[in-house]
Amino acid sequence: MKLNVFTIKSNQVGFDSIALIAKKTTPLLFDSVELDFSNCNFFEANMAAPLYSVIARLRNELNEVSIVNMPSAIKTILRKNHFLTIFNVVDLWDTNQTTIPFKIFKLQAGEHFSDYLDIYMNGRGVPTMSTALTKRFRQSLLEIFQNAAIHSQSEPGVFTCGQFYPQKHRLDFTIADAGVGIRENVRRYTRDAKMNSCTAIQWALVEGHTTKTEQPGGLGLKLLKEFICMNNGKLQIVSRYGYYEFSANGELINEMDHDFPGTCVNIEINTEDTISYCLKSELSSDDIF
Amino acid sequence: MDNRITIKVTDLIGSRLCISSEDGQKVFEKAESLLKRGKNVTISFDSVTMLISLFLNVAIGQLYGSFSEEEVRSMVKVDGLSVDDMELLKRVVDNAKKYYANSKEYDAAWRDEGEEDEE
Repeated sequence: MKLNVFTIKSNQVGFDSIALIAKKTTPLLFDSVELDFSNCNFFEANMAAPLYSVIARLRNELNEVSIVNMPSAIKTILRKNHFLTIFNVVDLWDTNQTTIPFKIFKLQAGEHFSDYLDIYMNGRGVPTMSTALTKRFRQSLLEIFQNAAIHSQSEPGVFTCGQFYPQKHRLDFTIADAGVGIRENVRRYTRDAKMNSCTAIQWALVEGHTTKTEQPGGLGLKLLKEFICMNNGKLQIVSRYGYYEFSANGELINEMDHDFPGTCVNIEINTEDTISYCLKSELSSDDIF
Repeated sequence: MDNRITIKVTDLIGSRLCISSEDGQKVFEKAESLLKRGKNVTISFDSVTMLISLFLNVAIGQLYGSFSEEEVRSMVKVDGLSVDDMELLKRVVDNAKKYYANSKEYDAAWRDEGEEDEE
């Protein structure tokens, strides 16, 4: 089967294009799929992570996936971010060091993910950010990663990559999985078998809402949203039929046309942010408990 | 006699990264067993390089499921946390108190929402 891949950017249309590939290939088993990039004029590098959510499922069903007719500019960026190594294409040295490479992690590999952030978030052309911003950003990424590890049931693991846009002072980082989606966990927890994906995402964003049983939780996404708000960044959450976006322009939640096979969180941060992210007054143990 | 025992988190979990629920569970179980024996506990985060809410929910938030607010306040202390991590812990503690006070109420409200089917 040959499928066209069109221009893919970090927006609802881009995620829906990826979900359409998943839909068209859903019944395939032991088959071959050619992803034809001849009509793709632009591919934002961080979208390699959600694209891999589709590829991972295809490979899990023992399908042979290949890439054909990829324009050279796209090939260059996807060799620089190591995505094409999964198709046995040799990496290219990232001269400007603006990529955080594509990587596949096992669900239990939180510490390896932290090591990866150590390597690629410190210098290496990825922006020099204030210590406070770097810490909050890393905390946010680790919260997202561990959420995926605990809740996704994604057998192929968690897929990550990032891209720095120096002219815009923006850094995009994307964490995707090929799991059951937020709605499955929320449906089970709330015993509401019909809850749709958009409502499930909204449920998960409420402070204190967690699908873990007999344990408090549900702060990770709320903290992430607060951080994005202070940083003037952007947050996108795509899970099954749900698309959520939060930025300075406001908040929107839309139903997607197609079923994205898993969950993807994309964070775009403003790298010029100099906010301290610290409280003015110090708390003691006595203030906390 | 000083009854206080310090749990050095990095020694107990063997890592400077407080990021997993499994490691949080180790800290919780150690603290819970000491508190049940009437010991006062200091949870020390000295040398920790990264801390996330998920870990704190399990390690400390869960204590409110086993002990009253008054017991936790009088018997548990933390040290070695930066100012911003103390703020994070405060959020976790406030959230845990709310969770154990009325965990089922939020969910019932969401079950009443009208829904459309998806595939």
